[in-house]
Amino acid sequence: MKLSQMHIGQSGIIRKVRANEPIKGRLFAMGITKGNRITLLDHTLKKETFEVDVEGTRVALRKEEADAIEVEDEKD
Amino acid sequence: MKKIRAVMVGQPNVGKSSIINALTNARLHVGNFAGVTVEKKEVTLTYKEYDIDIVDLPGIYSLNAYTPEEQVSKNYLLDESYDVIINVVDANVLQRNLILTLQLLDMNPKMILVINMIDEVEKQGGMIDAVKLSELIGRPVVLASAKERRGVEDIIEMLIDEFERPDRQRKIYYDERIEEEIERLSEILLKSPKFISADMARFFVVRLLEKDPDIYKIVHDLPIFLELHEELGKSIHRLKLGFDEESAADIIANERNAIAKSLVMQCMQAPKKASLTDKIDKILIHPIFGLPIFLFFMWGLFQLTFEIGSLPVDYLDATFTNFANWLKQILPPGDINAIITDGIVPAVGSVIMFLPNILILFLGINLLEQTGYMARAAFLLDGFLKKFGLQGKAFIPLVSGFGCTVPAYMAARTLKNPKDRLITMLVLGFMNCSARLPVYVLLIAAFFPTTNAGNVLFAIYISGAILGLIVAKILRIVLFKGEPEPFVMEMPPYRFPSLKALGMELWLKAKLFLKKAGTFIAGAAMIIWFLSNFPHNPQLIKQYEQKIAQAQTKEQKVALENELAAKNLEYSFIGRIGKMIEPVFAPLGFDWRLSVATISGLAAKEVVVSTLATLYAVGDADEKSSTLIERLRQNIDFKTAIALIVIIMIYSPCVAAMSTFYAEVPRWAWRAFYTIYPNVLAWLLAYSVYNILALLGY
Ligand SMILES: Nc1nc2c(ncn2[C@@H]2O[C@H](COP(=O)(O)OP(=O)(O)O)[C@@H](O)[C@H]2O)c(=O)[nH]1
Repeated sequence: MKLSQMHIGQSGIIRKVRANEPIKGRLFAMGITKGNRITLLDHTLKKETFEVDVEGTRVALRKEEADAIEVEDEKD
Repeated sequence: MKKIRAVMVGQPNVGKSSIINALTNARLHVGNFAGVTVEKKEVTLTYKEYDIDIVDLPGIYSLNAYTPEEQVSKNYLLDESYDVIINVVDANVLQRNLILTLQLLDMNPKMILVINMIDEVEKQGGMIDAVKLSELIGRPVVLASAKERRGVEDIIEMLIDEFERPDRQRKIYYDERIEEEIERLSEILLKSPKFISADMARFFVVRLLEKDPDIYKIVHDLPIFLELHEELGKSIHRLKLGFDEESAADIIANERNAIAKSLVMQCMQAPKKASLTDKIDKILIHPIFGLPIFLFFMWGLFQLTFEIGSLPVDYLDATFTNFANWLKQILPPGDINAIITDGIVPAVGSVIMFLPNILILFLGINLLEQTGYMARAAFLLDGFLKKFGLQGKAFIPLVSGFGCTVPAYMAARTLKNPKDRLITMLVLGFMNCSARLPVYVLLIAAFFPTTNAGNVLFAIYISGAILGLIVAKILRIVLFKGEPEPFVMEMPPYRFPSLKALGMELWLKAKLFLKKAGTFIAGAAMIIWFLSNFPHNPQLIKQYEQKIAQAQTKEQKVALENELAAKNLEYSFIGRIGKMIEPVFAPLGFDWRLSVATISGLAAKEVVVSTLATLYAVGDADEKSSTLIERLRQNIDFKTAIALIVIIMIYSPCVAAMSTFYAEVPRWAWRAFYTIYPNVLAWLLAYSVYNILALLGY
C-alpha cells in the first residue's frame, strides 16, 4: 500500500520509493530507503502533511511524497 | 609546531556547534565562505606541539547536495585542502548518519568519527561499542557528549593520532559486482595524469555511478572522457540488470543503507524507545488542536514582549532624561553641549529603552528553534502555506524575520527551489523585524489604551504576516507559475534548550544592539540634529528676541519662544528637506517631521524613533514636562498614527537588509522590483487606511 493510505500508528517495511531525483536522494538521506521500517506517526487534518518515523528519524513530508512511497504491511 | 587543518562535517543538528563551543582554549572566528554569505566558523587551538585549525562546514545530509548551503560544504570537501575530516554523528540516529560517513569513506580520507549525544543514548539504556565500530570502519571512533563535555579532549588526541598515522586502511567495500565495475572504471580514470591516487579515482567513480553532476563536470574536460562515458554507461546497465533496480544510484544507496544497518546491529545496543518526543508530538501537532496551540504560543510571545518588556521603560526613560539634564549642567554651554544633550543622548536613549522588548522577542524565537518546535510549526503550517504558493519550510525564514530580516534572508537558503526562495525573500520584509518594535511600542503607547497594547502588537504582526502571504500568492500566480518545491524535512527530537547557549545568544544580541545604538544610531541622530539646527537665521532670531523682551506676561513669552523654535526648525536644512518631501506624504496626514522620520527609517528602523524624539523636542521650549509620547499625542492624530504604522509595516527594510537581499539575489530585475514595490504598496495601503478611518470619523 501507499504510505498515504496507512493509518496513524501503523508501521511497515518500505518496498519502493518512486520519486525522481533530487527529491529521491533527499528521501534516501533521511533514511527513507527500501528495506527500512517506517511508522506513520501523524498527519494533518486534511491528510496534506505526514509525519513518519524511519529507523529513529522523524520526517515530515507531503501527500505527493507519501503517495510515492510503497510500504508493505508487516503482518503479510 | 606542526599545523593540522581539519574540517568538521556532519548532518544538521548533530551538535557540531556545541562541540566547537565545548573545546577549551579554542579561539573562534566567524566569517563567510569565500564568495557566498554562508557563515563560516573556524576555531584555532594549540595542543602539545600542534597548531590545530578546524573549519566547521554547514550541516549536510549527504554528498548529493540539495540546498545551497549543502553545496558549500560539498564544494569545500572536494576543492579545498585539509588534513583530517572530523565526522560528527548523532548517536540517537546513528544508522542514518552513517550513510554520510560511508560517502565520506569512499574518499578513504584521514578521518575520525565523533559520536555525539552519547549521553542521551546511555540515559535510555543504550550502548555503543566504539572499539568494535572503529575496527569495522578502520577509523578512530570517539564517544562524546558536548552537553556533558565528555570526550571533547579525546577528539583532539584522536585527531593528532590520525594525522600522524601513515597508513589508511579501507575496510568498507560494497557488493562484489559493484566493486568490479568500480575497478574497471577506475583504471580508465587513472590513465589521466590528473588522478594520481587510486582512492581519488575510486571516489570519483562511485560518485559518477551515482550521477553526481559536480563530479561529471570535472571529468567532462578530461581527454579520457569519451572512453569513460561509454564504459560508465555499460557498467550502469550491467548493474541495473544484475540488481534489478532502476538506477545505479539506487543500488549504491541500498548498499550503503544495508552496511549502515549492519554496522549499527553489530556495535550498538539500541535504547529502549524513548517516547517523550512522541508523547509531546501527540499534543503539539494534533490534527485539530495543533494550530490553535501554535497561535496561542505566538500570541503569548507578543504579550510577553510587550508586557514584560515595557516594565523597565519608564525607569529607563527617566534615567536618560536625568542623565541628559545632568550633562547639560556640567558641560560648558554651546553647540557641543547641545549636540550631546539634545541630540545624541535622547536619541540613543529613546532607542535603548526598547532593548528589553527586543531581547524577549529574540529569546522567544531562539526557544522555538532550540526546543525543536520550529519544525513542528513548519509541519502544521505546510498545508496552509502551500495554498499561498509557499511551503512549510518557508516558515523558518519567515519567523526569523520577526527577529531580524538579515539572517532571515540567509535562512531562506534552506529552500532549494529558486522560485520558492525568491518569493519567500520578497515577502520577508512584511514579517515585522524587532527593529520596528520600538516604533510600534511607542505609537501603541501613545494612541491605544494600555490594556490592549499586547493585542494591538499581535494584530500588527499578524496583519504583516497575512499581507505577506497574500502578496506571495499574487507573486506565485502572476510571476512564478509552477509547483512549489516538495516538502521533506527532518523533525528533530524535542530538547531542553541549553541555557548557556540561550544566554550567549542573548548576550551577543544585546551587545550588537548596544553597539548599533552607540555608533550607527548615535551617528544618524547627530546628523539629524545638525540638519535640524543649521543654518540659523539671524534676522529671525533678532526679530523674535525683541518681541520676547517686550512681552508682558510669562505665557506670551513661552508662546513666542515656541514660535521661534518652530520657525527656526522650518528654516533649517531638515525643515527644507521635509517640506520638499511633505507633498508625497501629505495625503497620509503626515507633517514634514513625520515624513523625515519615515525616510530616516530606511537607515535603520529604530532611527524613526530617535528622529521623532529630536524633531518633536526642538519645537518644545518647556522640556521637562512632556515625554515624547505626550508630544506625539499633541502633534499627530489617531488616523495619521495608524497610517504611519502601516507604512512602517510595509515599506523597504533597512539598508543592511536591502544589501543582504542584493547579495543573495543576483538578478537586476528582481533587485529593482524588490526596491520599488514595497514602497508603492505601503503608500497605497496607508492612504486607504487613512481615508477609511477618516470616513469612520476618527
Ligand atoms: N543531550 C545532548 N544534547 C546535545 C549534545 N550536543 C548538542 N546537543 C543539543 O543538540 C542541539 C543541536 O546542537 P547544535 O550544536 O546546534 O547542532 P549543529 O546544527 O550540528 O551545530 C542543541 O539543542 C544542543 O543543545 C550532546 O552531546 N548531548
